[in-house]
This record gives sequence, C-alpha cells and structure tokens, in this order.
Amino acid sequence: MKREKPSKIVIASCCIMGAGQLLSKQWIKGLLYLFIFAAYVTYMVTSGMNDIKGFFTLGTVRGDAWLGIQGDDSIMMMLRGIFAFLLTAMFVALHISNVKDAKGLAKRLEVGKELPGFLQATQIFLDKKFYIVALLLPVIGVLIFNVLPIIFMILISFTNYGGDIVPPELVDWIGLGNFEKILSLTEIKDTFFRILSWNFVWAFLATAVNYFGGLGLALLLNKKCVKHKGFWRMFPILAYAVPGFITMLAFKFMFSYGGPINYYITMSGHSAIGFLDIDAGWTARIIGIAVNAWITIPTSMLLATGILSNMNTDLYEAASIDGASKWKQFIKITLPFVVFSTTPVLITNFIGNFNNFGVFYFLRGGLYNDGYFLASDTDLLINWLYNLSIDNNYYGIGAAISLIIFIITSVFSLLVYVRSDAYKKEDTYR
Amino acid sequence: MGKLKKMAVGVLCASMLLGCVGCGDSKETAGETIVLRILENDTAKKEGYLDALLEAFNAEYKDKGIQAVDANMDEYTDLAANGPYGYGPDVIYQANDKLMTYAEDKHILPIDVESLDCYSVTPEAAWEAFKINIDGTTYTCGIPVNIQEPMLFYRLDMMPEDWESNWDKDGNKVADFFENWNDLYAYSKYLRDTDTSANGDSQYGFMSSLNNLYLNGEFLFSYGAYVFGSNDDGTLNAADIGLSAGDAAKGLMAMKQMASLMNEGCIDDTIIMKRYEKLADGSYFCVVSTPDTYSLFIEKLALAYEAEGLSAKEAEEKAKENLMMIELPGKLPADGDLTKSSDAMTEDDWIDTVVMGGVNGYGISSYTKYKDACMEFVNFATSYEMIQTRMNTLGIAPTRSDVAEASGGVTDMIFESLSEGRIYLMPSIKAVDQIWVPAQSLMGDIAKDPYREAAGELGKYVTIGQLEEAIEKVDQDIYDAIFTLKD
Repeated sequence: MKREKPSKIVIASCCIMGAGQLLSKQWIKGLLYLFIFAAYVTYMVTSGMNDIKGFFTLGTVRGDAWLGIQGDDSIMMMLRGIFAFLLTAMFVALHISNVKDAKGLAKRLEVGKELPGFLQATQIFLDKKFYIVALLLPVIGVLIFNVLPIIFMILISFTNYGGDIVPPELVDWIGLGNFEKILSLTEIKDTFFRILSWNFVWAFLATAVNYFGGLGLALLLNKKCVKHKGFWRMFPILAYAVPGFITMLAFKFMFSYGGPINYYITMSGHSAIGFLDIDAGWTARIIGIAVNAWITIPTSMLLATGILSNMNTDLYEAASIDGASKWKQFIKITLPFVVFSTTPVLITNFIGNFNNFGVFYFLRGGLYNDGYFLASDTDLLINWLYNLSIDNNYYGIGAAISLIIFIITSVFSLLVYVRSDAYKKEDTYR
Repeated sequence: MGKLKKMAVGVLCASMLLGCVGCGDSKETAGETIVLRILENDTAKKEGYLDALLEAFNAEYKDKGIQAVDANMDEYTDLAANGPYGYGPDVIYQANDKLMTYAEDKHILPIDVESLDCYSVTPEAAWEAFKINIDGTTYTCGIPVNIQEPMLFYRLDMMPEDWESNWDKDGNKVADFFENWNDLYAYSKYLRDTDTSANGDSQYGFMSSLNNLYLNGEFLFSYGAYVFGSNDDGTLNAADIGLSAGDAAKGLMAMKQMASLMNEGCIDDTIIMKRYEKLADGSYFCVVSTPDTYSLFIEKLALAYEAEGLSAKEAEEKAKENLMMIELPGKLPADGDLTKSSDAMTEDDWIDTVVMGGVNGYGISSYTKYKDACMEFVNFATSYEMIQTRMNTLGIAPTRSDVAEASGGVTDMIFESLSEGRIYLMPSIKAVDQIWVPAQSLMGDIAKDPYREAAGELGKYVTIGQLEEAIEKVDQDIYDAIFTLKD
C-alpha cells in the first residue's frame, strides 16, 4: 500500500487531530485522536463557546423565580468558563502530542522504518512513558478538585460577588476593586493590618510553643531516669486523639463563667474572671496559645521522639569529654539536628498556625471589638475571612483576603525553606 | 512491560471505572405520587410533631397522590444556596426574619393567603411579618403559625409562702414581681440578700444571659429603640438604625442594675445553658426563655422530682403542674431605675414592656415543582386541628385566634400582646443579620460592669451618657457592617 509523503502527514495532523495518523494507516491511534478532536469541537459548538463567552460576561439575564425566568447564574457561568479553559488547555496539550506523534511517524517513514502497530505502540508508550499513565488520573483529580477551586477562589476576588450581589443578581468583574477596598477603606484597612500583625505574632508564638514544647517533652521522656516511658507518652497521645473541636469547646466551657475554673476561683473567695470576655485581650490570646499547645504538642513530641532516636550518641559522649555542658550539648548538637530534620515540618506548622481557624472560632466566636470591622481582637485573618464571607456574605472581599493570605504564606514558606540548611545542605546528616 | 506496571495500569483503570459507577445517577423516581419535602424545626421533629403532621397529611391526601416527607435537612438549611440547584425543601418552616430574607431574593413564593382557611382567624400583625414590597407591590410570602417571644419560666412550688400578703400589694392574685420590673428587682434582691449558703450562690431571682438581644430586647424596645426605621412608603429603611433611639440608654441602665443581682453567668451564654437545670434545682427563681423550650424545662424538672423519689409519671405530672410560663412583667420604670420602690411610683412613672419577638411560619420554595400541592400542605398544616396539636405538643403560642381563644391563658395573652403591639417583631429584611453580634457584644459588656465595680475596677458604663455613647456606637457599627462594603 502506498503511504503519504511525510510532510503531508504532519500538516494533516496539524489541521485535524489524527488525520496524519490515519494517512499513515495508524487506524486506531488516528481514530482515537480524531474522536478527541470531534468531541472537543462538538463540546465547543454545543456549549464550550458559550461557556467561554459567559466567563467574560458572567451573565446578562437576571433570574426571577416568581416569573419563572431562570436567568443566568454568574457563579456557575464562571465555573463552566474555567472548565472550558481547562478543557481547551488539555486539548491543546493533546493536539501538540498528536503533532509530535505525526512528526515521529514522518521521521520513521523518511528513513524507511516500519511503523509500529497500535498494540506495539501502546506497549512502548506504557513502558517508556509509564509516569504519564500513572499520573494521569491523579493529575485530572487534582485539576478538578484542587486547581479548579483555587482558580475559582482567585477569580472571585476580582468580582463584586457578595453582599446584595448574590444569585439571582448578576455578578460583575470589578478588577482590583476588592483589593482597593481592603487597602483604602479606613475601617477595613485598619482591621486588616491589626489582624495581620496579631496573626504573625500568633503564628510565631504558637509554632514556637508547640515546637519547643514537643521537643522538651520528647527530651524529658527520653531521659534514662524516666521510668515507664510508654505509660507517660500515652497521655499526650490521648490529648491528641480527642477531636480538636471537642477539646476547644471543652476549654471554652472550662474558661466560661459557669465553668470549673471560675467555680474554683469563686469558691476560694475571689471574683470570677472573664477569661474570654470582650475586653479579655491578651488573656484570651494566651488561652488560645495554651489550648493550641495542648492540641498540637503531642504531634511535635512524637516527631521529635522519632528524630531523637536517630541521634548519634557518640556525639554527646565526645562533647562530654570536651567539657560541654548539657545546655551546650542541646544548643550545639540536639537542636541543629532536630531543626535540620524538621524545617519543612516547622514551615508546615507555621502555615497551619497562621491559618488556624478553629482555636478562636470555638473559643471566642461571635464577638466584635471596637476598632475592628466585623472581627474581634483575637480573630486571625482566616476567622475574619469567615466572618466576612460566611457570616456576612461578602464573598469577593473574603476571596481577596484569602488570596492575600495565600501570597503571604507561600512567599514566607518558600523564602524560609530555600534559606534553610534542610534545603541548602541536604546531605549534611546523610 | 513489567508485571508491576501492568498491575498498576489495571488498578488505575479499575479505579476509573469504579469512579464512573460512583458518579452514576442515583435519583429515585417517585412514580405518579407527588412527594413534598417538608423542612420543620428540630424541636418539632424531636417532640414527634412533624411525624404526627406528616402522618395526618398523608392519610388525608393519600387518594390525591400527594405525599409529604421530612426534608431531612438542617433546620437552618440555606434555601438560597440549595434551592436553585434542586436540593432545598418544598415547604420550609422558619422565623419571619429568616423567611423574608429569602423573599427579598424571591427564593420563596408569594402566596394567595386569602384562599387559606387560617386567613380570617390570623391577626393582621402576624401577616405583616411576612409582607414584602417589591417594585411598589406588596406580597405576602409566609403563612404565620406561631408567635415567639421571650417568656418567664418559674416554679409554682418555689413561690414565696408569703407572696399573697407581702408581694401582692394590689391584691389581684398576681404577684407584683410578675407585673412590674421594680418588684422583680426587689424580690431578686431579697433572694440574694437572704442567701445564706457558704458561697452565696444558692438562690437567685430573675436570671437571663444578658448578652442576648432577642431575650432581653425589652430593655431597649420598651424605651423607644427600634431596629430599622421606615421609609415613607412603609418599607423598612436599613440606613435608619435606631437601637439608640428614645431612652434606650435608660433601659440599658435598668439592665445593668438587674445584672448586679445575677452572677457572671449573665455576661455570656452560661445562664442560657444552665437555665433548665438551675430552675429545676431551685437555684434560679425565674428565667427567660422562648415558648418552644417549654418541653425542655418539663424534662429537667421531672428529672429533679424523680430524684426526690417520685415515679416517672408522677414526676412528669408534678412538673407540668408546677412549671409556669408567663409573659415578662408588663411595666418598666420610665426612668430606668429599678431600685426605686414601686410603692413610690405613680401610673405615669411606668412604661409598657415591649419585648422582641418573631412570628414563625411556613414558606413555599420558589423552586418547588408542586406549588399547588404545597398550598394544600400549608393549608392543612395551619388548620385548626394541626395548630392545636402543635400547641399541645410543643407548647407554642399560635397565631390562629380561634386556637388561642380556645386555649386561653398564656397562649391568649401572647396572642393579645402581638395584636396590641407589645411585641416588637424582628424586621423582615436581610440587613437584620448584622444587628446581633454588635448588640450582643455591647450588652455582654454592660452586664459585666457591676462585676468590674465589685472587683474594684472602674465601671465603663456608669452614667447614662456613657451608655448613650456606647449604644450609638453600636448603631454606627451596624450601619458600617451593612453599608461599608456596598458599592
């Protein structure tokens, strides 16, 4: 059978997916490509073009349930638009692979090599590009369940979605309007910077307390003089095993006016203390740090226990012979080793604490302080974001704040990580 | 290709297939029968009223091909978020403020209320709570079922033995401390002063978590405060916030005085959480709660009697005999001074108590496919028999005048209070969502003031001027919350 010229094969595949393969008698592969091409074109004609158009307009017809007018759902239109763009990107990637494949076929034909059959080509592909097969499903899953919502959230921050603008009202693109509001409206700006500064203090303090608390506990329980170590280790694990929100609610009750702490305070003849009152200020903040420590120290302890078990005891012996004190040994041997091994975990903890929603939501939700816009003085950015977007429907502003949190935390973690020994001196302890 | 890779490919394909199977259509077909999803509140479910309602309706409409089922959703499910996508209920039971928030965006349907059996026996004030003006036309979007207002719960067997001789000066067989706040203050003070327990915490008078605007609204609304003012056309104006209007600061001073006779539990939700148990054990003489919690008080009180040795049945009977639910005292001092003796006060020194309340009712989702069937359901659910069953099961105060009259007593009194304007209904607009937290934050802080002073600290709200300033700030905060982020 006569085969087409190599150049024609590439041109045909460029124009119509799979055409080059069909010209090369690669029937199954060609038909598969052609099917994808046809499916994409059908999708674009029937819905994709409208979805992309809708992404830009976010709807033109306002719904009216009473009159039976369904109207445009701006948010669904945005989602469908994003989906259309993602599908288009995937189609482009497949088209490129189709052209590359056609080029490969053309090359083989030029040098007179036999073209492999479909089964053989599939086997070669599965063997050489196994990573693609293995990662395809997870990547699609990540795209749909992770990337799509993130893109959606980012895009929402550029709209006026929220407040009175919720379906059936039509949402509009407003560019950087939400960011301008955060940085220009006095109340929002002041609240933002107040909460941001407390958020940093909280994240540093909570991370440090949890980290060193866990390390200290691990060191203590590692000491030879401690008997029944397993028994003692059980208690922090028990604290860890109780669901976090249950613990937080229990602490809220403990520190409330009707709780056991105030009961004993009043029994001893003193006045009850408003640990979590509106004017509690730093008392409430410190309680938050302590509650968070209660929940997270067990994890740090377990981590540190594992790392300490890998320590080379010869180092301590040598240090003792050289006259190093216990403190010196801790500073110069234990700490660098543990910090080196746990830098990525430390960063994760910091980010986790920076975005720690539960502690102050459960301990002190439902309070607004003077000088704060829809927030209290213990709220973190994530709590404020919740107040704005869930309690008060200001989704656009909420999305803008979450984008700012994302930028802050990602830049911070990247900077810290690339400057850390764990990244720079990867082989030090190998 | 290695075996391992083949296995991996196999597992991936299988998982993809399973995923596809999992994504299959799981819709059930209802056949010819129309199935209505009814969303009721949790208490109605818990106490078995919803089952009784559904059973009665389904028996009645069996031949007409209509069946009502429990929507099985959270009682505060968001119709606006779920309805458009087909997940919401067909009929929803909510308070007027929540229901009318949906009406603003047309998520619930306007109803031809005159076609309902309950129309003529329901007062205009209750219908008003469900009216909305859109583009100059007024629609009614809900069907009133019951009135909610804060009530006073107390135990008959805890009444002072000498109440008729010492606490009923006008001899009308109603204790003075249930008629005016100054005597309630005086009796609460008496109980505190005569508390001889080691820690002085065994007997309290009037108890309420004062940080709760809904339960303690009388300290504002009786003195001329309002939530939102009105436009010329009678619609609510969310820009006109009036919690500080009139003599609201005087009311807050009265609240502060009352706080001084409670304990620190009045600053947060402690009293709300403990009220059932503390009323049952006799530590609290009277507490504030809503009518729908009646059954919870009975439950705890019956347990207390059981602990004293009565059988379960006897305990329940005794609990029902002894638990009293009445309206809050009807008179507050015009100058906000509860410490004055009522003997020295003339009729002009009093003002009527106005409490915050709401009307709960049914709404029909705009996304229902069976509007007519829904109308049949709400007509049935608001019929004389069903409302009477609801009242008997849940202890609610119905909006149907015939049921209220037949029941008499408190139910009729609540009904009258609504008709005569002694209940300030929660405004039926979206902006009302913004009032709670700012008001709650301030009221809790004011309730804390007596305890600051007792601890030797300076009070924050010592003068009327300071209270005025604070409540005006709350108005401003609410305004900011509503309007700051508007375009």
